[in-house]
Amino acid sequence: MSTQPFRLAAGGLIDRGQQLDFSFDGTSYRGYAGDTLASALLANGVRLVGRSFKYHRPRGILSAGPEEPNALVELRSGASREPNTRATVVELFGGLTAASQNRWPSLAFDLLSINGLVSPALVAGFYYKTFMWPASFWEKLYEPLIRRAAGLGRAAGVEDPDHYEKAFAFCDLLVIGGGPAGLSAALAAGRSGARVILCDEDFRLGGRLLAEKREIDGKPASEWLAATLAELESLPEVRIMSRTTVFGLYDHGIYGAVERVADHLPQPPAHQPRQRGWRIHAKRAILAAGALERPIVFAGNDRPGVMLAGAVRSYVNRHGVLPGRETVLFTAGDDGWTTARDIAAAGGKVAAIVDSRPADPARKALADKLGARLFAGGAVMAARGGRQLSGVTIRDASGAVSELSCDLLAVSNGWNPTLHLTSHQNGKPAWDDGLQCFVPGTVPAGLTVAGSAAGRFTLAQALEDGARLGSEAAVEAGLAARQAEPTPTTDPETNGLSPIWRVSGGRGKAFVDYQNDVTDKDVELAAREGFRPVEHLKRYTTLGMATDQGKTSNLSGLAIMAEQTGRTIPQTGTTTFRPPYTPVAIGALAGHHRGKDFRPIRLAPTHDWSKEQGAVFVEAGQWLRAQYYPRPGETDWLTTVNREVKAVRAGVGLCDVSTLGKIDIQGTDAAEFLERVYINGWKALPVGKARYGLMLREDGFVMDDGTTSRLGEAHFLMTTTTANAGKVMQHLEFCHQVLWPELDVRMASVSEQWAQVAIAGPKARETLRGVVDPEHDLSNEAFPYLAARPVTVGGGIPARLFRISFSGELAYELAVPADYGDAMVRALMQAGAPFGITPYGTEALGVMRIEKGHVAGNELNGQTTARDLALSKMMSSKKDFVGRLMARREALVEADRPSFVGFKPVDPSQRLRAGAHFIGIGKPAAMENDEGYMTSVAYSPHLNHWMGLGLIKGGTARIGERVRAYDPVRNGDVVVEICSPVFVDPEGARLHG
Amino acid sequence: MADTARSWAPRSAWADIAQAGQIGVAGSAGVIATLLDGFGLATLIAAPGGTAALSRAVEARLGIALPATPKIVSGASHDAIWSGPDQWLLRAATRDGFTNFLEALSAQAAVSDQSDARAAVRLSGPHVRDVLAKGVMLDLHPSTFAVSDVALTSIAHIGVHLWRLTDGPDGSVFEIMVTRSMVGSFWSWFAASAAEFGCRVTTGRG
Repeated sequence: MSTQPFRLAAGGLIDRGQQLDFSFDGTSYRGYAGDTLASALLANGVRLVGRSFKYHRPRGILSAGPEEPNALVELRSGASREPNTRATVVELFGGLTAASQNRWPSLAFDLLSINGLVSPALVAGFYYKTFMWPASFWEKLYEPLIRRAAGLGRAAGVEDPDHYEKAFAFCDLLVIGGGPAGLSAALAAGRSGARVILCDEDFRLGGRLLAEKREIDGKPASEWLAATLAELESLPEVRIMSRTTVFGLYDHGIYGAVERVADHLPQPPAHQPRQRGWRIHAKRAILAAGALERPIVFAGNDRPGVMLAGAVRSYVNRHGVLPGRETVLFTAGDDGWTTARDIAAAGGKVAAIVDSRPADPARKALADKLGARLFAGGAVMAARGGRQLSGVTIRDASGAVSELSCDLLAVSNGWNPTLHLTSHQNGKPAWDDGLQCFVPGTVPAGLTVAGSAAGRFTLAQALEDGARLGSEAAVEAGLAARQAEPTPTTDPETNGLSPIWRVSGGRGKAFVDYQNDVTDKDVELAAREGFRPVEHLKRYTTLGMATDQGKTSNLSGLAIMAEQTGRTIPQTGTTTFRPPYTPVAIGALAGHHRGKDFRPIRLAPTHDWSKEQGAVFVEAGQWLRAQYYPRPGETDWLTTVNREVKAVRAGVGLCDVSTLGKIDIQGTDAAEFLERVYINGWKALPVGKARYGLMLREDGFVMDDGTTSRLGEAHFLMTTTTANAGKVMQHLEFCHQVLWPELDVRMASVSEQWAQVAIAGPKARETLRGVVDPEHDLSNEAFPYLAARPVTVGGGIPARLFRISFSGELAYELAVPADYGDAMVRALMQAGAPFGITPYGTEALGVMRIEKGHVAGNELNGQTTARDLALSKMMSSKKDFVGRLMARREALVEADRPSFVGFKPVDPSQRLRAGAHFIGIGKPAAMENDEGYMTSVAYSPHLNHWMGLGLIKGGTARIGERVRAYDPVRNGDVVVEICSPVFVDPEGARLHG
Repeated sequence: MADTARSWAPRSAWADIAQAGQIGVAGSAGVIATLLDGFGLATLIAAPGGTAALSRAVEARLGIALPATPKIVSGASHDAIWSGPDQWLLRAATRDGFTNFLEALSAQAAVSDQSDARAAVRLSGPHVRDVLAKGVMLDLHPSTFAVSDVALTSIAHIGVHLWRLTDGPDGSVFEIMVTRSMVGSFWSWFAASAAEFGCRVTTGRG
């Protein structure tokens, strides 16, 4: 175990009493509670943490926050492995394991770093230029090679073992960011009684206050912070969500956020999700997300040990880590000097300060006090070193070049407001020439921006903005204005800055985009080759397209392009942002909805019984339906289905049909309503009878079919197919509410109220006799085909009995209230036992309906008309109905439009395939010879061969003719004979038995 | 086969889905779920222009007026739950006599018995809103969702009918009605969402 050689003896917001052991690349280290993985690695002297994307250059830690482009690691192991995790935001926990990525065979010795030597070939656009020929090589050779060499961490590759959640929240005010501006805003609004949600991505609230040595109201800022947090926690309507990143701003004041509930623990505690995705509806929001510091582009600026000056302060002040022994500061403004001061205060050595601005006596005095050499008007031209920084090349104001040894180079070039969310609704940031940065431009309604995120970089401005905007938000939310509290005072601060975008003249690569390995030369090349608009620059060079989305690189790239093209930065373009602000795990977006919870599953009232029977289930929309009921010894589904079909036709079988849609239609105009939605007539249907109905869409194509029964003069029960139940209900509601609101028709879905079972086969009546109460006469005379009447079962339980058949057999459907569904099927099984009653599933159902030539979902596929399905005789000419006119369109009534017939293989041993296209015998398989296609096939255990239904030009007129059923996908090419679609009992004798 | 010789025993929508006991964190009742069973339920839809007459008829028999806005109105033994313009769910504490009662109303309304079509659960406990926040896309804060407010919304892609009852000792109390066939998926969501708070599941009458 190492001794944390870079840890300061005292100070920092870490708990030195709580040591945490962790490992990186297999080596064990120790840190403290309050560390990030990055701060703990730095404390242990680990500088080299990764290899770059393209050139495999050694990379260290650049930042101390979410913008980190370099220090990406694989966190955890096995199924929980998360690639591309920023070490700078990973909260250290005991037992943490992390590994560097994109290196082979090891981090210190990476064979692919020779990419750096052949780098002239790897400039911007190299994919497009290099791998052009031959085209087939791209997919087979180049792409796999490039993918192996380039790229980031490895996905776990197995199912994520953790649970995720989604949740919804509502508030008067959402405060994004828990720094001084955000906390002030939350407090001001919260004191007014507003419902406030404050989200902060860090695990500790305070924002930059945690990283700075500042005073508020004459006391250390930590005291103000503690008092503010205590008061916020006392306010019942204020909710503080730490470890929560607001990643996106959407329409109507909706914000997306991800809460890392258990990422800071080795495993999520029992019953806790790892992460929770939030959708937050906020009446008002204040963006107080702070700012991100900007690097400077110079040769070797990616050497491990080159770090943002503000990040250095974070490590020193917050984590008690001095990231180097010998520091050089390269600054373009006052802010960098704070870093030098804090390093010196922590006992570190500042060897030199390179300030790009002209000499200034006050700065000279300060440098002397710090014991640092001052290069006023100078610049760092290059950073040296391999796996770690060893020195810098400095050019002074006179142009003289000198070398200096150091192991830490702190770079300060001003800050960019974290305004990302302001541009998620297409808002364009505006360039502020005074501040030399983009500030929020057009800001979405309901959002205001406070503090550094608005380019108001001082602590005093942050506190003032927060308090003012928080109060305003509360008033806008309808709460009474409160007497404003005096804004706290702060210690003096200056933020003079004259940014430098690039220092030329050094030897070696100068990186603009660290994560995607885009250099200043790539930007120059893009300019030379005409890719000058910022969107072209981005796509040609990949600048800003890595997982960090260019947080540290976009502006430098823009500035260099501006310089190359002789324009200003705002003339060159702006940087805009899309959600998410930082990467979001898919799991947090999916929440609970994965695996079997991907979508709701609907179970029939007989489901458990079917399960007991060993049913195999099939998904039919959201429903799970029994597909078939295999018995011991049956090894393939066809054997089972053949048995079920034969049992039904020889004796009796039962099948759950509860899943069909059932719509209760009442009202004095109910019959008239049916006349208008169905193609056939309904007014003459007597009470107590059912009728098959077909309805069209407005465009004349078939929408759905089913039986509808008349339960009373003004009371009908419509059934729909399982698949279309919801759609038909919607259609009927539309027809009533929009087309014919004057009709008295009232509809309610009763699909869930009734458990319904089909009982089919010659022994169906005898079986039912044992179930239906004896006072109900079930004889053929008393209860004929298409009778539909209430009965009672099981000694007075109200039920409905329908004599309808899909199988062509003597068949009934019995419906009972769903609570009795289970009892019904058990009673039927008992009553049918003497006749060998056999449960059958959707497969046998399908076989029997094909044997009878009934259309189903495969035929009602949205592309067929009633005429196509040989049902045009049903279309009443005595009335109007939905789809009537459009069904008469020329192309829909063309003579050779494919229509519905049956097909049987000429060689009875041949298998048929649904989807096969019909082609004339002897004709080549080409589009112009296509005559139609097979919609449904099944093996008929009665015919002992396959049979099919389909649509073919000429239809019925061609019965007896032979054609090829051609299925190139499954190598099928079978000669079939066109036949009647009714294969079994064409006279219908069984039905009426 | 002895088991097929059963009598016609009704089987609740909750059967084999949820049962009394504890979910998630042991010994904690952050949420209390009461599975409701045995209630009568029917859709009432007034005839065009017949809302007032229907409301009078219901009020004469049950002493509760039909709410004109998304509310639940409760009487001694029945609740009228708004479920759309001129449309309500009428819930009876028991199914005894419910069919006859519906018969009597059928002159004033299109009546559809739905007693078996829904599963219902009453939710309370100090974390009830925290659990619901994981599925309900509406603001259930007491300041915006008042006692007796009703919403037709969805939870975990499942259509639900939800309302707020009079507060209990731990604050807000809600009831949720779920489509019967989807109650397994609903419960899967609920159990996963309530587990972190600990949930005591009991059974009761609707």
